[in-house]
Amino acid sequence: MAESAAAAAGRFRAGDRVQASRIDPAHHTRLPRYARGAVGTVVEGQGRYPLPDRRARALPAEPEPVYAVRFAAGELFGAGDHTVTIDLWESYLRPARSPEHQ
Amino acid sequence: MARINDVGGMQGFAPLQQEINEPPFHADWEAHVFALNRALLGRGVYNLDEFRDAIERLPPQEYLASSYYEKWLHAITTLLADKGVLTREELAGG
Amino acid sequence: MSGDHAGAAAPLAARVRHLEALLEQRGLVDAAELDRALAAFLARSSPANGARLVARAWRDEEFRARLLADANEALPELELSMGGGLEEQRLKVVANTPDTHNVIVCTLCSCYPLALLGPSPTWYKSEAYRSRVVRDPRGVLGEFGFVLDPAVTINVWDSSAESRYLVLPLQPAGTEDDDEAALAARVTRNGLIGVAPV
Repeated sequence: MAESAAAAAGRFRAGDRVQASRIDPAHHTRLPRYARGAVGTVVEGQGRYPLPDRRARALPAEPEPVYAVRFAAGELFGAGDHTVTIDLWESYLRPARSPEHQ
Repeated sequence: MARINDVGGMQGFAPLQQEINEPPFHADWEAHVFALNRALLGRGVYNLDEFRDAIERLPPQEYLASSYYEKWLHAITTLLADKGVLTREELAGG
Repeated sequence: MSGDHAGAAAPLAARVRHLEALLEQRGLVDAAELDRALAAFLARSSPANGARLVARAWRDEEFRARLLADANEALPELELSMGGGLEEQRLKVVANTPDTHNVIVCTLCSCYPLALLGPSPTWYKSEAYRSRVVRDPRGVLGEFGFVLDPAVTINVWDSSAESRYLVLPLQPAGTEDDDEAALAARVTRNGLIGVAPV
């Protein structure tokens, strides 16, 4: 089950800066609201799984990469010196807009 | 709409209470709810994402007032009724 | 947790018995099989499994490296597994260092390495823990009486997908010559979650 940083031919690799979706969906999702719109760094791939947003509605879903993404507490809450690493499906992520974004 | 289960970062909840030597379950009914859920998942009556979704759709006041396995019981009965496995009348009877 | 004295729980117990009876009538569950599966789960899954993993990792550098690189591959070395229930889940072990301390949570529900450790403690599943630990992990550790050196960075892991997390605590000083059994006896469930030093 070893997963390289290249995350099974997914879009992102370890070290990539990514931004979590801002969308507040009406359905089940596994993107916590405290991370919406936040920019973080991919730590590593966490396998490939079907998107729960679709599975919860009994919709077909192909496995897609999941990434452990690390966020600074300041980015999430405006305060704190810790980090929070959240496992996020690729569908929840896009490349961060600029390397300077903080 | 962000749901009541999505509590990361929310403020105002009570201080943590730790039970020393806490047993795996506090009552037989909890253990049975746990086992029932596993059996129904294993049989494909519903999937884990549907199960979590059913918990999350609990009205917020009920979600916060319910114990952990009460939430599970609610989700199981909701799914069984929604999927037509059991009727709401049957579930209410007994 | 809402009042769970016998009076309040009696309607719940009756509801669960009723539900189980209905499902048995439908042929969807079998009471004896439920009992058997439950007993098997509790026998197989407990915090002692996590303690054994930690003790082995403390004694054996190469095992530690294997455990951190791919925990699922390393588990069978101690005859452990993340299967036995539904699908085998991915286990990720995160090591504490002198500079970093790890804490595990599932803010969205209560995901936890059940297959390995058995049921999680009630506080882990509480809205209080799930809401607070991502925002103020140092404060939460303080609620457990664990005062972490301010120079140590805290990494909180929110188990929001299919991976389940386990903390590999720092080996206590002066235990380098202890055998695995003695080391395992020092490891607590709270240490495996990250709200205690070990």
